[in-house]
Amino acid sequence: MLPLISIVLATLALGTVGTFAAGTRARWVALGTSALFLAEVGLLFAGFTGWPGYSGTLVPGFSYTETHPWISLAWMHIDYAVGVDGISLIFVLLTAILQIATVVYSWGETQRPAGYFGLVMLTCLGCVGVFVALDILLFFLFWELVLVPMFFLIGYWGGPNRRYAALKFFIYTHVASIVMLVGLLALVFYSGATSFDFASVYAAARGLAPVVQTFLFLALFFGFAVKFPIVPFHTWLPDAHVEAPTGGSVLLAGLLLKLGGYGLIRWAVEVLPSGLHSVQPLLFLIAFLSIFWGSVLSLAQRDLKRLVAYSSINHMGIVLLAIALDSSLGLLAAVLLMFAHGVVSGLLFMASGSVHHQYGTRDIASLGGITPGAPALSTMIMAGGLASLGLPALIGFPAEFTAFLATWNGLGYWVLIPLSVLVVTAAFYLWMMQRMLFGETKGGPPDAHGLPWYESAGMGLLVALTVLFGVLPSLLVNVIVNSPIKGWPGT
Amino acid sequence: MVLGVLIAFGEMLSPGTYTNVQITWLHLPPAPGPFPNGFSLVMGTLVDPISSLMLVVVTVVGFLVMLYSIGYMHSDRGLPRYYAEMSLFLAAMTGLVLANNLLEFFLFWELVGVCSYFLIGFYYEKPSAASAAKEAFLVTRIGDVLFLLGIFLYFSTYATAGPDGGWAANGFVFAHNSVPFLPLPGANTTTLTIAGLLILGGAAGKSAQFPLHVWLPDAMEGPTTVSALIHAATMVAAGVYLLAVASVFLGFTPTDQLAIVAVGGFTAFFAATMAVVHPDIKRVIAYSTISQLGYMVLAIGAGFAMVGLYHLFTHAFFKALLFLAAGSVIHAVGTQDLFRMGGLKKHMRLTAAAFAIGGLALAGIPPFAGFWSKDDILASVYSQLGTHPLYWPFFVLAFSAVFLTAYYIFRAWFLAFSGDGPRDPTLPAAHEGPWVMQVPLVVLSAFAVVAGLFVFVPGFQHLLVQGTVLGGIPPTYPATDLALSSISVALGLGGIGLAWTLWGNGRVFSLAETSPVQPLRRLLLNRYYFKAGYDAIGLRAVYPFARATDFVDRFVIDGTVRGLERMFGAGSDRLRSIQSGLVSDYAAYVVAGLLALFVLLLIVGPYLLGRFGGG
Repeated sequence: MLPLISIVLATLALGTVGTFAAGTRARWVALGTSALFLAEVGLLFAGFTGWPGYSGTLVPGFSYTETHPWISLAWMHIDYAVGVDGISLIFVLLTAILQIATVVYSWGETQRPAGYFGLVMLTCLGCVGVFVALDILLFFLFWELVLVPMFFLIGYWGGPNRRYAALKFFIYTHVASIVMLVGLLALVFYSGATSFDFASVYAAARGLAPVVQTFLFLALFFGFAVKFPIVPFHTWLPDAHVEAPTGGSVLLAGLLLKLGGYGLIRWAVEVLPSGLHSVQPLLFLIAFLSIFWGSVLSLAQRDLKRLVAYSSINHMGIVLLAIALDSSLGLLAAVLLMFAHGVVSGLLFMASGSVHHQYGTRDIASLGGITPGAPALSTMIMAGGLASLGLPALIGFPAEFTAFLATWNGLGYWVLIPLSVLVVTAAFYLWMMQRMLFGETKGGPPDAHGLPWYESAGMGLLVALTVLFGVLPSLLVNVIVNSPIKGWPGT
Repeated sequence: MVLGVLIAFGEMLSPGTYTNVQITWLHLPPAPGPFPNGFSLVMGTLVDPISSLMLVVVTVVGFLVMLYSIGYMHSDRGLPRYYAEMSLFLAAMTGLVLANNLLEFFLFWELVGVCSYFLIGFYYEKPSAASAAKEAFLVTRIGDVLFLLGIFLYFSTYATAGPDGGWAANGFVFAHNSVPFLPLPGANTTTLTIAGLLILGGAAGKSAQFPLHVWLPDAMEGPTTVSALIHAATMVAAGVYLLAVASVFLGFTPTDQLAIVAVGGFTAFFAATMAVVHPDIKRVIAYSTISQLGYMVLAIGAGFAMVGLYHLFTHAFFKALLFLAAGSVIHAVGTQDLFRMGGLKKHMRLTAAAFAIGGLALAGIPPFAGFWSKDDILASVYSQLGTHPLYWPFFVLAFSAVFLTAYYIFRAWFLAFSGDGPRDPTLPAAHEGPWVMQVPLVVLSAFAVVAGLFVFVPGFQHLLVQGTVLGGIPPTYPATDLALSSISVALGLGGIGLAWTLWGNGRVFSLAETSPVQPLRRLLLNRYYFKAGYDAIGLRAVYPFARATDFVDRFVIDGTVRGLERMFGAGSDRLRSIQSGLVSDYAAYVVAGLLALFVLLLIVGPYLLGRFGGG
């Protein structure tokens, strides 16, 4: 069988180099790379259990695994080990979708396009690496790789306060990464694993005492939590989003925030079950706090992009809650939620970017009644807002429904906290729509050229997927459950 | 429409048949844990007596309103949007009616809600319309959250209980192999009671029952056709439909029933009082809708789900008729203010007659439709008065609302149609609408006259009785109580009489400024200050709280972060001296750092491990 995952990584790596080198034609190379990547992800799906067209037999554990010795010591060896299960495959798909959508949306980028598109390619390469790595050091390598292009995307292509935001983003997440690295190394050494490979660490960690698991879990959790982000480690996020260029925001919200959730599931929840068990109350508390805080703060925001950024904190709080429940339904909900949030927040950040291009401001109070002047853009904002507040037949609904049901199953009436916040979430989106889209027209005429075709196309793709997966969530679910955890078929 | 009626006829001919078709929407395989048999969510259709009745309403009224729209909306901008949203609404409403499980029901429930949001805000450039749309969505959202929690409670009771592995494996279905899935014996009564109350909360949001009633009058910002279809005949009735479905398939406890009776009876009276003073023709009818929905809720609470649905059925026709007639008036004179109209019957004979027929049906005057169904409600509640002493006050409230109902609707009729001419001479000359607007009025008038008599058609009666049998409720249809009917008809006629005395023949009745009733009138005009109160909570409490939270976030949490940053910044100035720029120095630091890390991991770690008894 073809080493498909290596081919994917190679495609992205070559694409990155090619884009940097292509000068003014960078966008074409980027588009070609994204399309090729998407096609390869299609191949990955076609050969994966659970996908409707799949006719082969069940593959237990990870699929498309490759292991090549990388660094070998007498007592320890580090491998280039990659592979996917249902969960990671879903995130690879998300990366492919957001990459091509971002490239199309940013088609009109004129400021050093080679650098811009190259960094977008590099970010996606890092994210895919994180999702497919099955070796701790490889995982960490890709994890750190993601920071670099994002730092430059914010710091060079960003808004007026970009240097501050970029540095804050970098230092904040980097400190977390270091704590996480210590945790990961400690995990390997204490468990007595003979390699950094996922399977051997996983097997060895079973023998760890609960109290050790707790400490390790906390260290890993801190690393992942900042990426999530969760209250109170979230203040880098609004700054980063407000200053980042649109493409940067899309990747930041759509992919980088998912690294935290994915890492938590793959390297902490699965590997350290007793650790999770003993810190569960803390996780619930933080999750509830994030859900509440993110939603209430969104209500207070005047900048459209800041509003969407805080709503991410709310959504990722629900993800953390679902993960912390440690149930199969909760895990399914968490993965669905992250996928949904990736697509929908990407859409909303693109829409905010377009509002800024068209009207020169994102201040909700100084805009109003933009629907007659920009009906297409207004429709996109509405679609994103409604999807984000969990409207059925859009992608957020099956995810939120399963998340709340799992919460009810695990925690009983505590579910009232996230449920009542749903009303606040609806309130801030609807109020934003009322003030910005409807009513009397304010804020001057839109840009004379109207919404460029590539911006509509980028957003249109995401709207279409929001509807597709909202109507047919089983397309995702059947893949997700083919993971070697929780007694699902991949075991 | 034709399809819907055919399905209903099929149901009449072979009562008790369940047609159940479904596909899997989301499936988790069996796994150890809370769902040993797996977990599924399904999408399917179920045709039973209740849904077939509702299907007729949705399809027939939907068709007539769409026909009427061709004339009423012809000069509006954004017609593609209008028809697309109306069609989406009808599709979602049909889905809701035919849903075979509670989750699917909820899904379409939310979809009809968002269609309502779009259509209330159809004239989005009007700030009041945009605000009303948001208000409708948010208030019903509160109900939706309660509904969702109610679903969870039922789920926790039935997840693994019942036929074929329980709800978790079967996806919340109402019926399994033509047998109602629930209620199961031996379930926890407290949980079921709370679940029932939460379902009531959801229904109250959708059907605008007290205290979630505020949004419906404001929803009149939408086009009148939307008011007729969504905010009178179908969507607002979905709450009642939910209660009926729940009473048949999920079962209510006696406490739930009392709560439902209380909400229904009180709302029937409460909303009617507000309709008495309002000057806006559409809002009068809107309050009337809330009040009539209260009657339906009352009947379901008393244990007669099908009687409630029967009233839903007749109400859909005569209330859509009233709205379309009002729409015809608004189309002609361009205002909704009753006090500017007058004398319209000369120019709009058909509309005047249609409105009068609708009014008579609403007032419960025989033989019009409303008489039969409203009378059945009062009789059925009356027959249950022995169940609980607290049923009494709500029965009395509902009963006295009959008088108010007759009064306010004929006040509106006299103000609009009687007299010599409009009170405001600037109004354009009135005229009837085109044939597409007249045909629905005629058809609905016919229904408003005869729909009540359907109960004497054997098949239809069978349908009603069949529905009640399912819930284990005795199939005895409430016997008509002649004395009770006479009183209620007398009350209705009295209301009409009072309206004629005060407003008939172009008279305008006005209270003296010093009248002791003035404060009451102001209270009613201000809608008991509910709207103002809710707005104040939003604007004076929630938003300032959010701003305060924002302040904390910026200056306390982020301030701490920036404080740390400055602290490290100051420290790093001193540390800068060790950045000599020599590669060998850096290499030494790296080695030292790695050594420290290894010491930490390999010496301190195992020591701790030993201390805490690690393995």
